[in-house]
Order: sequence, then C-alpha cells, then structure tokens
Amino acid sequence: MSTAATIESTLARYERPLIQYALGLTSGDLAQARDIVQDTFLRLVREVAPPAGDHLGPWLFTVCRNRAHDHHRKAKRIVYMEKSDLEDSPSANTPAPSDALEQRETALELARYLERLPENQREVIRLKFQLDLSYKEIADITSLSVGNVGFLLHTGLRKLREYLSENETFNLRKAS
Amino acid sequence: MNLDDPKLTAYALGELTDPADIAEVETWLATNAEGRTYVTDTQKMAALLGEVLHSGEAPGLTDAQRAALLNRTYETNRTDDSDDSYKSQKIRRPWSIIALTALAACLAAAPLLPWTELLRLRNSSAPTMAISEKPMTLTMPEDLSGRVGVSPVTPAVLQDEVATLGLDKKSNTVAGASRLAKAESTPVGMTLERRNEMAGLTTNWAMNKQTAGESDGRTRSPKAKAAAPLAESQPQIIGGFFESTARVDKEGFNTEAYDSITENDFLAARDNPLSTFSIDVDTASYANVRRMLNDGQLPPKGAVRIEEMLNYFTYDYAKPEGGAPFSTNLEVATCPWQPEHRLVRIGLKGKEIPVAERKAANLVFLIDVSGSMDEPNKLPLLKQSLRLLVDQLGENDRVALTVYAGSSGLVLPSTANKDAIREALDNLKAGGSTNGASGIQLAYEQAVANFQKDGVNRVVLATDGDFNVGVTNQSDLNDLITEKAKSGVFLSVLGFGTGNIKDSTMEKLADQGNGNYAYIDSLREGKKVLVEQMGGTLVTIAKDVKIQVEFNPAVVSNYRLIGYENRALKKEDFADDKKDAGEIGAGHTVTALYEVVMVGSMSKEVHAEPLKYSSNALKQAPSLPSGEMLTVKLRYKEPTGDVSKLLEFPLTDDHKKLDAASKDFQFASAVAEFGQLLRKSEHTGGASWDSLIARAADAKGSDKTGYRAEFIELAKKARDLSKRNDS
Repeated sequence: MSTAATIESTLARYERPLIQYALGLTSGDLAQARDIVQDTFLRLVREVAPPAGDHLGPWLFTVCRNRAHDHHRKAKRIVYMEKSDLEDSPSANTPAPSDALEQRETALELARYLERLPENQREVIRLKFQLDLSYKEIADITSLSVGNVGFLLHTGLRKLREYLSENETFNLRKAS
Repeated sequence: MNLDDPKLTAYALGELTDPADIAEVETWLATNAEGRTYVTDTQKMAALLGEVLHSGEAPGLTDAQRAALLNRTYETNRTDDSDDSYKSQKIRRPWSIIALTALAACLAAAPLLPWTELLRLRNSSAPTMAISEKPMTLTMPEDLSGRVGVSPVTPAVLQDEVATLGLDKKSNTVAGASRLAKAESTPVGMTLERRNEMAGLTTNWAMNKQTAGESDGRTRSPKAKAAAPLAESQPQIIGGFFESTARVDKEGFNTEAYDSITENDFLAARDNPLSTFSIDVDTASYANVRRMLNDGQLPPKGAVRIEEMLNYFTYDYAKPEGGAPFSTNLEVATCPWQPEHRLVRIGLKGKEIPVAERKAANLVFLIDVSGSMDEPNKLPLLKQSLRLLVDQLGENDRVALTVYAGSSGLVLPSTANKDAIREALDNLKAGGSTNGASGIQLAYEQAVANFQKDGVNRVVLATDGDFNVGVTNQSDLNDLITEKAKSGVFLSVLGFGTGNIKDSTMEKLADQGNGNYAYIDSLREGKKVLVEQMGGTLVTIAKDVKIQVEFNPAVVSNYRLIGYENRALKKEDFADDKKDAGEIGAGHTVTALYEVVMVGSMSKEVHAEPLKYSSNALKQAPSLPSGEMLTVKLRYKEPTGDVSKLLEFPLTDDHKKLDAASKDFQFASAVAEFGQLLRKSEHTGGASWDSLIARAADAKGSDKTGYRAEFIELAKKARDLSKRNDS
C-alpha cells in the first residue's frame, strides 16, 4: 500500500506531466483532465501492490489513458478539431516576419498541424515530445509494440514535415 | 533502406539501439542526401515539438484535489493496518465520497431497483424510460442545492464525477458548472444503460454504509458532514422511486421485467384441466433477493420469482432410470399455509452422464478481481454466470480458479469438486488493479498441467476489459496466446460490465486463442453463453423441456401453479415442437409446486362458475382411474434432436401429512412460503415467517453447501424487516 509520503512524491513528479497528457486526450478540457488525473492517483492509492521504480510512470500513464477513454466513452465529450477548422486559419496567410518570430510561428503552426494527425499518431507524438518518453515506455503505456510506436512516430513526423513544406511561410530550413 | 523506413526516425531521435541498425542507417545516409535532410529536419521538428508542447507551465491538480488524495492515503492506510489479507481487501472510500455517492443516488432518483431487473430492462425493446417525476424534497447544503436544481443530471456523469464533486469547492465551480451545462442538454429520459450504471451507484452506497458506520469519529471534511444527513434520507427516496417504477410498468415499458408480477391465480380444474409451462433453471431471483435483504431492504415484488428461488436449491431426487434423460419425482402432502389444501411437487432430475459418454472438460477460470470489477454487473454477475457453468459440469470435469489484479494467484487448484468450486467462486472479492499478463500465464500453466487428452481444455478469462492496467505488452500477450492455442488449450473471453473499453483487445485475444469472446451484461446472457453455448459442448441432456399437468376434475376442484408466471405456455404449445422451452443439464434439478384444492374441500378458493351442460358429464367421470388427482406430462428433445418425446406420470393423493413428507418437500414448501410472503401474495393463507423458518430448519438435512442454513438466516432477516415495516 502506498504511503502518504510516496503519494506525495509521486504527485510532485507526475502530477503535471499527467495533466498535460490528459489535456491532450481531452482536447484541452482542464477540469476533465484534472478529474482523470485525480482518478488515476486514487487508483494508485487503492492499489494493493503499487508499481514501483521504473514501472510507476508507465503504470500511471496507462491508467490515465484508460480513465480518459472511460470518460470519453461515457460522455463522448471529446471533440476533435476538424480539418476545415485549420484550413480557414488566418495565420496561414500571414506574411513572413523576422526570423525569431518566424521560428515561434513555425512552432505554433506545428502545434496546429499536430491536430490534423490521426489520434494515435498525435498521442504517440505527445508522449514522445511532451513527456520525453522512450519508444519502449510509450509502447508500455499504449499497449502497442515498440515497432508500432516507431512506425506511428515516423508516419506522424513525416506528415508534419509535409504540412510544413507545403506552406512556404513555415519552412524548416528557414526556422533554423 | 529508404525514406519510408521508421528506423530513420528512430535514428534521428536517438532511439535506435541495435548497433547493426545504426550502422545500416549511417551507411545509407553516407550516400543519400535526401536521407540526411530528413534526419536533420526530423531533429529540428523534434526540438520544435518539444518547445511547443512544453510551452507554458502545465497546470496541476487543484490544492483541494491534492489534499483529498493525501487524506485518502491516510485513511486507506489506517483501515488496512488491521487488515492486510489480500482477499478481504475492499475498496474503501472516504466519508465525503460515501455521503456524496448517496447524494448522487438521491439526485438521480435513487434507483434501488435490483440490478438484474435493470439488466432485463436493458434487454427489453424500450430504449428509454422516464425518470421519476416525483418532486424530491431534500434538505441540501446550500452550495450543492444550487447545482441540484438542474434536475436531469446525467447519472453516468454523476457516477463518474462523484469522486470530484464536493472534494473541491474551487474546481467544482469550474468542472461542476461545465458538466451541468452538458447535463442540461441531456433529455429527461435516460438511457437504460445509464440506469444500469446508476444501479451500481446504489449498491456502492449500500456497501459503503457499513464503512461509513465504521468511520465514525474519523476526521471528516466539512462538506462531508454537510452531506451526511442526505445519506439517511435515502430510504424515503427509494420509496419514491418504486412508485415511479410502477408507473413505468403501467406505461407498458419493460414488460420483460414485470410481466411476472401477475401471480398465478387459482383455476378451476373443470374449466382449465391443463396447466402448461416451460422448465426454468434460472436462480437469479434468489441471489438478487438475498442481496437486497442483506442490505436491509425488502425486495420489490417484481424481484421475487418463486421458481428461481425453488431452483436455487438442489434436491435429492431419484436418479433417472432406463433411457429417460431425467427422472420425475412427484409428491403430495398437506399445504403448510393452507392445511385444507394439498401441495403437489413435481421434481425433475437430469441424469448424470456417465464418464464414458462425454468428453472430459478441463477448465481454468481466469478472473479479473481488480477494483473496477466491484460493481453489481461485474463480479457478482460473473460469479452467477460461472456458477451456471459449474452447475453444468459433470463429475469428471475439472476446474481451476486463478485470479489477477495487482498480483495474480491460484485460488483453487484444478479440482472436480463442484462444491469447492462454488465456494471459491463465492469467496471472490474485488480489489486491486489489473495485470493480466502474468495471470494468463498462470492460467495456461494450470490448463496444461491438467490437460485432458481428447477433452475440452479451455481457459475462461472473465474481465471488465480493463485488462492491461499495469504493464502488459500486447504483442507478447498475443504471442503467448497464439502459441498456447497450438497446444490444444483454447481461450474463451467473457466481458462484463457496461461499455467495454478494451473490447477489441479481448476479441483479438480470443481470436488468437482459438476461442470465443462473449459479452455478458445479464444473467440471461450469461446463461446463453455459458449454458446453452458452452454447455452445448459439455452437458445439455435434454432441450425444450415442457411440463403439462392434467388435473382430474373429479378429484381436483382448483389448482394454482406457484411461480413460473413468465414461463407459462399455451396448452397447444405443449405438443408444438416449434415452441422453445428450457434446457436441462446433467444432474440439474427442477422443482415446481402446485397448491391444489380437492373436490369436496370446504375451501373458499372454489371459483368455478356453474356450467349448464358440462357439469353432468363431469359427474360421470368415474371412467377415469379413481383417485388419480393429476397426470404430469413431459415433453423434451434430445440435445441434438428435433422431435420431442412424451413421458407421462400419474399421481394419486396418498393423503400424507406435511410432517410425513420428505425433507426436500418440506424445505421447498418453506422456500415457496418465503417467496409468497415477500411478494405479499394473495394466497398466503396462514403463512407465517416463524413457521416457515421452523420448517426450513427442521428440513435442512445435511446441507453440505450451507445454502439452506443461509436461507434460514435470510428468512429471519426478511421477517424482522417486514415486522419493522408493518409496525
């Protein structure tokens, strides 16, 4: 059984990353993301044999993921952004500003393009770059094989690269 | 090597670990400019993505949420200090949640409707049903009542959010408000599935009541204190709900659930000499009533199905002889609650199939006992369903029981002792989380160790689908199962609970394991899957078993079938082989009781209208063998047959007194009396709790399983509860 001290340290370490992850799964609904994360920790508290060491992180993310899907299934509240939302985006026609600004713009545009990707690719990208997890850790959380994770990341990143190169304003080579 | 190779991305991200792979990529890159551009682009993009996704301080939990969690940790630790046994591990909720769960149940019009009824409702054709329109008068803490004002709160949302509600005032105003805004758009009618989830809520409340009692004196949050009185007001609300249920009934929804309430009345043998019904081996009603009584509630009438109570118990009937698949055991004695009437018992016992005639089964149940299974439509339903399966098993079938949760374990090594299996099943409790991988390994080890050559070797995985909480590598699991399927051990996956999030996982597993995946949302479904389908490969000995009793109007004036209301058949259905009826498995017993008024009895129950023409004909009836009161006719088909066979058994009243009757007869009469009192039957006559309790105790017999003793305790509870209600 987890002690208060371990829960406290676990909270300190994982609370924010989990909420960040949950936000990605709930289209940015903070209240819901918090509920999901609280629920995740409640499960940890109840756990007869709580995961320890290297298992703790993946365990938390897995539970968080399942909780989020539960919420999603029960309430069908997660609404993904439609492609058309992006196409009308005014920023696509913004003229090129200075280099520094440009880089930030590119980054923001990247975030928008991210929303265009299929859910599974987007999730893997989030886990990789938002939470800096390894392929193996991502595989554990998502129940995918490491090969699958690699494939999804590869496909997702290639797509992003394509989106960026389609748009002359936001070119990776300029951004560097 | 080309740009489509994921290794390229892995290389760019520093995820490539195999030196051979790295060498391969580098060799290729050395000669491929496009590849090098891709790698640098990918690295830039990774940096950008990291920047984008990390930008801004990520929010955390609210202070109150965090405090509630820590508080919870203290409580959990305290309760578990004195109780660290794995099996008795129960989910305990802090006071605030208990009270708020109760509150949520109240808000949602508190359905203490038995869950089996709900499940039945769900199966019925009506897609929605109205919430109670009865206004609820509740004293509520101010801050809650504001929210409560929005009446059509979606119970599913509530159930989900109960843990958050009230734990945190600040986030509530945000989360709660947005959620209720959504709830508002939900129509007043609610889906039956949601009802179902609400039933879970109520049961949780009942379960937690005890915990609540224990936790007196502990630190409670101010909010919990405020909400606590609500818990006490729950019973009244429940009353309100039942009224609304009755209303729903009248409106014609859920016919499946409530048709059975209309009790069989006395019929005149002269007008209706034939009484026809299908056998029924369900036992759910008894378990359901037991749950409610143990929760301190009298069951609603509709939940009391007497035939299911009678058939919950096994009786020591004679084994069938000759070629018949079952024996018919008739007995008649004084009716305990109406001494001038006779009570007739028809008892069937399915033959035990000899070892040589049937493939032996080697089953390993792998049961998910994680915390999430602690809902009425999960573990309890799972137990009942598997019990049905166990009932179907023969003497040489073996069952092992393994569980998985936080850790996995062997609960019962492979055994053919059905009582031991039932007991092990009964003792299962939910608690802990799920790690399916090692559990499934253990289950297969058991199956292989007890392998039955030429027999049925099967792992039966039962779960709510939260299968890979904890680290489970999907592909490893698939490999394991695929490999084991080659060894002849097959996998059946049974899903429980509403809306299974891992549906596809389970289906995939079953596919790979040469097995089947079934979703069990009700006992009816459980029966279908485990008895009719799985039992088909095991032990169905006769199907479409129908009973028709022909009463001799010269001897019997009136009769009444006790229970079996929803199993009634038209008299012409009896010989119609196209009409479905119940199946009987090896060793099964089926019991039916008739209360009979004899000709010449001084009973007031004689209802027949005088007939102008037939009465004389009846007086000349002595062409019938004198004294025969009735003939029981049975029709059944062989498990694979299409044409029914007919058996006939006449019964003559031997004027036996009740105390001369067999123990089984006396016990069954007590069960029927119990059911009729619970149902507030019109025909209870001189029935009394005390006399039925005394009779059941007297007729308990060896009671190896303890079920009869449990019945006696239950009857005492029912007696005390109804006395309290009457006073």
